[in-house]
Amino acid sequence: MVNITINGKLVQAYEGEMLLAAIRRENIDIPALCHHEAVEPYGACRLCMVEITKNEWDGWKNHVTSCLYPVEEGLIVNTHTPTVIELRKTILDLFLASSPHSTVIKKLAAEYGITRTSYEEVPDSTDCILCGLCTRICDKMGFSAISAVGRGHGKEIAPPLKEPPPDCVGCLSCAYICPTHYIQFTDNGKERTIWGKKFKLLRCEKTGLPTITEEFAAYLIKHREIPEDYFKINDLSHRRELALKMGQITQWGREA
Amino acid sequence: MKQDFTTIPSIIARHPRKASSLIMILQDIQKEFNYLPEEAMRKTAETLEVPMSKVYSVATFYNAFSLVPRGEKLIRVCVGTACHIRGSKVIREQFENELKIKPGETTPDMKYSLEVVGCVGACAMAPVVMINDKYFGSVKTSRIKQLVGKG
Ligand code: SF4
Ligand code: FES
Ligand code: FES
Repeated sequence: MVNITINGKLVQAYEGEMLLAAIRRENIDIPALCHHEAVEPYGACRLCMVEITKNEWDGWKNHVTSCLYPVEEGLIVNTHTPTVIELRKTILDLFLASSPHSTVIKKLAAEYGITRTSYEEVPDSTDCILCGLCTRICDKMGFSAISAVGRGHGKEIAPPLKEPPPDCVGCLSCAYICPTHYIQFTDNGKERTIWGKKFKLLRCEKTGLPTITEEFAAYLIKHREIPEDYFKINDLSHRRELALKMGQITQWGREA
Repeated sequence: MKQDFTTIPSIIARHPRKASSLIMILQDIQKEFNYLPEEAMRKTAETLEVPMSKVYSVATFYNAFSLVPRGEKLIRVCVGTACHIRGSKVIREQFENELKIKPGETTPDMKYSLEVVGCVGACAMAPVVMINDKYFGSVKTSRIKQLVGKG
């Protein structure tokens, strides 16, 4: 264990974990838009910035992104100093200029007292803040169907050649992980569309309810060695089957 | 312009078959065709076993790569800070007028492509214009006709 001080309180943190994890365990609320436990930290949004210092640093301080900064013995962390708040405000002010219509950004900025950007709003803005969560989760899932395209002002998230992505299986991980809900999809229970690509949904043989896309099931069967039969029924039916089995087991237990 | 894509595999084969060869291969392809044909990007992705999305991401990131065929003469007007201060805006406009194209475009006869770039590392000579691999410093609007002619 590593001893650190967060906002004046001595706490223990696990070796190798990032500051953000320790801060969150203390129930301290700091924004971290580009962070998700499922993927590696990335440091894109800069909102999780905190102040760090150590007793032996002679009053010297530093501001670091807590999602990317590993805990260190003796670290003194402050999450809401006037400077940290000022930094976070500036970042939110900029986000508000680049994504002025995002409800998530507007809400967060309002929490920090900003209702209008002091910069010029970006024309043709989108709600995408380029946090890279969607591309990271897509990589992690093993598909890499989408990526960052272009750079500078024109940078965006898109499939290769901006065509329906051949490697996409319609799992929706990108849409679910997107902090600003920018990634759109449609799903009518029969068919699903995302990134301009259409998918057919499998149905549970018992309940008739839709499960996952044919492509996603095919991938899991092939690459994750999940038995083909598994996708014939949905999770609910799997649970029911399991419950019946468990019931039988306790029954046998009683008889014995 | 007729193009022979059969050389693509041999260009790719010049480099070790690993992901870190990606940029070098794309550079060679760019040199050969003056742009990155879709087919070449696909073949590269397939050979190196790199997802197509990554190839596309790299191809669209660097200014050195183009996804559309470029003209014989690539004119790059630097609009970096130093050049901006020394009047790159009028230089750019003069080229636009002279060639009747906007940055990012190519003349219909495939002779010229115009691009704007941020700092080419020759700020002392600002405003700078690059024509293919050659640098031209302290460019004046009066010189542009001549630059388009030769270079
Ligand atoms: S689409 Fe969403 S998840 Fe992807 S980079 Fe933009 S904001 Fe992040
Ligand atoms: S959460 Fe740390 S930089 Fe975005
Ligand atoms: S700004 Fe043009 S060369 Fe540096």
